[in-house]
Amino acid sequence: MYGLESIAANNGWAISVVGVSIVFSGLVLLSLSISRIHKVLDLWDNRNDIRIFCKKPQERSEPALLPFTEKKKASARQFRLLVKTMDDPFSLHRLLHLAEISGLERPHSSLCHLIKAGIIEPDHQGDYFFNREAFDRYAS
Amino acid sequence: METLFIDFFQNTGFFLCDYRNIIMILVGMLFIYLGIAKDYEPLLLVPIGFGMLMGNIPVFKGLGLGIYEDNSVLHYLYLGVTQGVYPPLIFLGIGAMTDFSTLLARPILMLLGAAAQAGIFITFLGALALGFTPHEAASIGIIGGADGPTAIFLTAKLAPTLIGPIAVAAYSYMALVPVIQPPIMRLLTSRKERLIRMEEPREVTKREKILFPIIAFLLCCFLAPAALPLLGMLCFGNLLKEAVVTERLAVAARTSIIDSVTILLGVTVGASTQGDVFLTTKSVGIFFLGALSFCIATACGLLFAKFLNLFLKSKINPLLGAAGVSAVPDSARVVQVVGQREDPTNFLLMHAMAPNISGVIGSAIAAGVLWSFMS
Repeated sequence: MYGLESIAANNGWAISVVGVSIVFSGLVLLSLSISRIHKVLDLWDNRNDIRIFCKKPQERSEPALLPFTEKKKASARQFRLLVKTMDDPFSLHRLLHLAEISGLERPHSSLCHLIKAGIIEPDHQGDYFFNREAFDRYAS
Repeated sequence: METLFIDFFQNTGFFLCDYRNIIMILVGMLFIYLGIAKDYEPLLLVPIGFGMLMGNIPVFKGLGLGIYEDNSVLHYLYLGVTQGVYPPLIFLGIGAMTDFSTLLARPILMLLGAAAQAGIFITFLGALALGFTPHEAASIGIIGGADGPTAIFLTAKLAPTLIGPIAVAAYSYMALVPVIQPPIMRLLTSRKERLIRMEEPREVTKREKILFPIIAFLLCCFLAPAALPLLGMLCFGNLLKEAVVTERLAVAARTSIIDSVTILLGVTVGASTQGDVFLTTKSVGIFFLGALSFCIATACGLLFAKFLNLFLKSKINPLLGAAGVSAVPDSARVVQVVGQREDPTNFLLMHAMAPNISGVIGSAIAAGVLWSFMS
C-alpha cells in the first residue's frame, strides 16, 4: 500500500497531528513555566514584604476597664491600707485573712475584682504585689 | 599443501569480498576524510567511518567475527545500541556540558525548537506514503530531529533492523548541517530579516539554572513518559553541572563517559553497515527521506520564527529558527555564520543555542510520543 491510502490505513494523520500537538504543548508549557521561575524566586526572596505571608503582630489586649462603683472603690482603698501593713510582695492568703479579721465586706469577691482589674498582680513566684498605677486609674 | 593454500585463500577477504563491501569501505573512507580533512563532526564521522571499514571486512561466517554473529565481540558492543543503552548515556554527557542560560533568559525561543519538530511528523507521513511500515516510518521521521542518539534510541525500539542506515543517515546529515541548511535559510529569509539584532539576554541566576532541569524533567516526562530515558539523563546531567557540589560527576559525564560511549556507538554503528545488509533499496529511501526530513525541519523553524515576528514587539532574527533542529551546536554555529555574512558585527550564536537546546528536548519528546503510539 502506498500514498494517501497507506497514511490513512496506518492512522498516520491522527498520529502526526496529535504528536505535533503534544510536542508543541509540552514545550509551550515548559517555556511558560521557566519564564516565571525568576519571578517566583523574587517573590520567595521578598516573602516578608507580602501581606499574606506576614505574621500579624499580636495586639496586646488592654484590660477592659472594669466598672468600679463607689463601694468597690472604697473596698480597694481598704485593701490598699491592708497591703501597706505587709511586705512587698505579699501572700494573697494572708491578705485575705487580714481582710476577714478587719471585717471588710465580701472580701473574696472584692479581692477577685482587684485581681481582675490588675490592681493586685501576681509576681509569678507565688506572691502578689500592689499595682499603684492600676489603683490610681480605677479607685483613686 | 596446495589444498591448504587454496583453503586459506578461500577464507581471505580478497576471495569473500563483494562489490557492496567495497562500496561501503569507500563510504567509510569518505567519512574519515570528511571528519579529518573537512572537520565535519570529526568525533562522530571518524569512529563511524572506521567502524564501516571494520564491518565490511568480509569474514567467514561462523567464526564469530561479524557484528551480526551472536558470539562476536562486536556483537556484544553492539548490544549497547540495540538495547538503547548508549543514547541515554550520551544525553547524560550533553546535559553535563550544556548551559541553558539563554533558554532561561528568553523562553519564547523554545517555541522555535518545537516548530522544527514538525519535520519529524511530516516525514513520518512521507515514509508511510512510500510504503514503509509505521514503525519504520517513525524511525525515519526522527532523523529530522537531527539528533543521532535519539534516532538510534527510537530505531532500536521500533525498527532494529534499520539502525545502521538510520544512524548513518542521521549522523551524515548532522555532519552536513553547514552544507544543507544555509541555502534553505537564505531562500526563506530576506536580507532585512537576516540583519535583525537580538536583544541582550537578561542575567540568569544560579538558582534558576538548578531549578530548570528538575522542572523540565518533571513537566516533559509527565506529559510524555516514554521520553524518560533520554530526558531523564539529559536533565540529570545538567543538574550535576549546575549543582556545583557534584562537579566531579559532571566532569566525568561530560568527558570520560560521553567520550567512551561515543567511541563505542560510532564504531558499532559503523560496523553495522555491512554491505549486504546496508545496501538495499530501503536504505536509499531512508537517505532520501532523512534529507527531506532535515530540510523540512529547518524550514519549519525558520517559518515559525517569521510567524512569531508578526506578533512580537522585539523581533526575532528568523535565522534562529534553523537552530531548532537539534544538531548541537552545529546548527547554532551555522546560524552565526549565515548571520555574520550579512552583518559581521551581529552575534547570534548565543541566542541560537536556545532553540538548539529546545530542539534536543523537543526531539526527545517526539521520540517518546512516537514510541508510545507504536508500542
